[in-house]
Amino acid sequence: MADILQKMASSLYAGEDEEVAELVQQALDQGMSPAEILSSGLIAGMDEVGKDFKAGDLFVPEVLVAARAMSAGMGVLRPLLAAGEVPSAGKYVIGTVKGDLHDIGKNLVKMMLEGAGFETVDLGTDVEPAAFVDAVREHRPNFVGMSALLTTTMVNMKTTIEALEEAGLREGIKIMVGGAPVTDPFAREIGADAYAPDAASAVDVARSLR
Amino acid sequence: MISSSYVAQVTPGMRVLSDEQKVQVHQATLELLRRTGVRVVVPDVRDLLAKAGCWVDGDRVRIPAHLVEWAIRTAPHGVSLCDRNGNPAMFLEGRKGYYGTGSDTPYVLDAYTGERRQAVLADVANVARLVDALPHIDFIMCMGIASDVTESISDLRHFEAMVSNTVKPIIYTAWSRQNLEDIVAMAEAVAGGAEPLRRSPFCALYSEPISPLTHAKESCEKLLYIAAKGLPVVYTPGMMIGGSAPVTVAGALVQANAEQLSGLLICQLIREGTPVVCGGGILFMDMAKGLISYAAPEFMLATVALQEMCHFYALPSFSFAGCSDAKMFDQQAAAEGALWVLLTALSGGNLIHDVGYIESGLTASYEMLVSMDEIAGLVKRLMQGVEITEETLALDVIDHVGPGGHFLEEKHTLRHFRDNWFPKLLDRRNLPEWEAKGRLTLGDRAAARAREILESHEPPLLDEAVADRLASIVQRAEERVRQAENQSSG
Repeated sequence: MADILQKMASSLYAGEDEEVAELVQQALDQGMSPAEILSSGLIAGMDEVGKDFKAGDLFVPEVLVAARAMSAGMGVLRPLLAAGEVPSAGKYVIGTVKGDLHDIGKNLVKMMLEGAGFETVDLGTDVEPAAFVDAVREHRPNFVGMSALLTTTMVNMKTTIEALEEAGLREGIKIMVGGAPVTDPFAREIGADAYAPDAASAVDVARSLR
Repeated sequence: MISSSYVAQVTPGMRVLSDEQKVQVHQATLELLRRTGVRVVVPDVRDLLAKAGCWVDGDRVRIPAHLVEWAIRTAPHGVSLCDRNGNPAMFLEGRKGYYGTGSDTPYVLDAYTGERRQAVLADVANVARLVDALPHIDFIMCMGIASDVTESISDLRHFEAMVSNTVKPIIYTAWSRQNLEDIVAMAEAVAGGAEPLRRSPFCALYSEPISPLTHAKESCEKLLYIAAKGLPVVYTPGMMIGGSAPVTVAGALVQANAEQLSGLLICQLIREGTPVVCGGGILFMDMAKGLISYAAPEFMLATVALQEMCHFYALPSFSFAGCSDAKMFDQQAAAEGALWVLLTALSGGNLIHDVGYIESGLTASYEMLVSMDEIAGLVKRLMQGVEITEETLALDVIDHVGPGGHFLEEKHTLRHFRDNWFPKLLDRRNLPEWEAKGRLTLGDRAAARAREILESHEPPLLDEAVADRLASIVQRAEERVRQAENQSSG
């Protein structure tokens, strides 16, 4: 029994998404509980990934394919997990602000968050403040993350926060900002809860805000 | 004396691609454009491409080989930029290289305190003034995004500040088509009219596609305007190896080539003979954090290869030098910057920018700019190569001095010792003198030199009538912004 979980964790580490999905199904067929598969197979694998990435032994593409393998495994498990059993580090609405089309950084953050067990709602790029407001109303997230690469669009982070305040939605969420020209002082100045300098630390910052 | 079929290597060079490999890259590019194509967001531009014979499917445009080759044949092989007075200044052709600064850094290291702070309009003016005085920097790009002016028209402010503080050619950016029209109006005021500006342009627009393979809305709108005006444009990609481009250098090279050539085609279709500078940035995504690097060897290699493709097509090229990932002007900055300056000189880039960029393009450093100017001086001397003549072989002199003699007082030495390079910033003195002068580092001396220039150099002023005209164009734009704000809040 333990063998298959170990195999699952290694496959996940190696980013073998099809294999992970198959092994999850096999484990289920063998009678293992979804909760156990989740914690001792999938999460165990992702923990190793996180550890090695922090140590500089694993790199961004490897983390991303491992997260994709985790997703594949979760795809099989999710319908079977009871409501309370689905682990969620939190629900995260993310987007690049109005006027800005840059998305690689935002996508990296999103994929890292998903790998870490966050549920994400990706609004895309060039997102109006009103669209952020609508998304918060609809999805009731714990976090809102905004990305900008241009100094000319950074200002829309402030207008988005103001829009959320006006809509009475600011209180229940934690707001994070990031992007090359963004800084910690800027984040504090506009009333965000936190700033992260890169995708990897975004996950840690989100965790610390919970 | 006769010496037939004599071939001299006059200047040093380098190559990374063989002739056959360049053909290979070219053919791979044609296949990419045929098979994958590019995304063109603006319908007017798509229509031009369709009418010319491209295959259009929604916003995806696939380009047949003959059109690419037509564009290469049709575009001018060289772009000449003049100075503010209309005198010839840069010949962007062949392997003639000119160094210049970079554009739009949000931050600057203060020239006096060393503090990293947001750039202000005074920095844009100061960098222009510094560039005006530096002997080996030939053009200006606004190294600073002014944070103390109306944001939506800061590009107009940058242009005004640059053109007021240097006579050297300007490569400018524009936030929108409307702003571009204003900037061109300013340029025409300086040149004395639309026709003089077109004949003797002292400035060129810088714009980019979005990688991978997308000609976006703002870019297309600007190209439609600038190309129709017959004014020069630098339209080059800025991709990240591994992120917005394939992780292998060759793959990124082919993608960059496809982006530059499809951009070239668009320009030539808008107006045949539009002066376009190709080349550009195949930068690097560092996989440890997903951050961009301005000095990775892969970036350097890919840039050199792209210059070689530009030469292959006989098109002017945009390149890089004097830039670094370091957060201040430290040993890393000097090493990375200098490697770049040499590499780009050897690989024959024409319009070589970003000199003075540190922190991967986020911050402008006065010390970096001044130090790299010095390195450019050294490199220029190196690039003169070895001249072999009877005079330089000096056999008569050697015989005259004889074994055990010395050359210091020879007429030959006196005639030629000034051909060798004299540093102004790099220090060759001995230890006691260095200690007596305060044990200064290159950074210390560069900072002092920057301050000295800023405090003493006065570039020629713009004609008052012209300066007034520029100010009124800016005012008109400010008014437009104010009205738009009132309307939206009203």
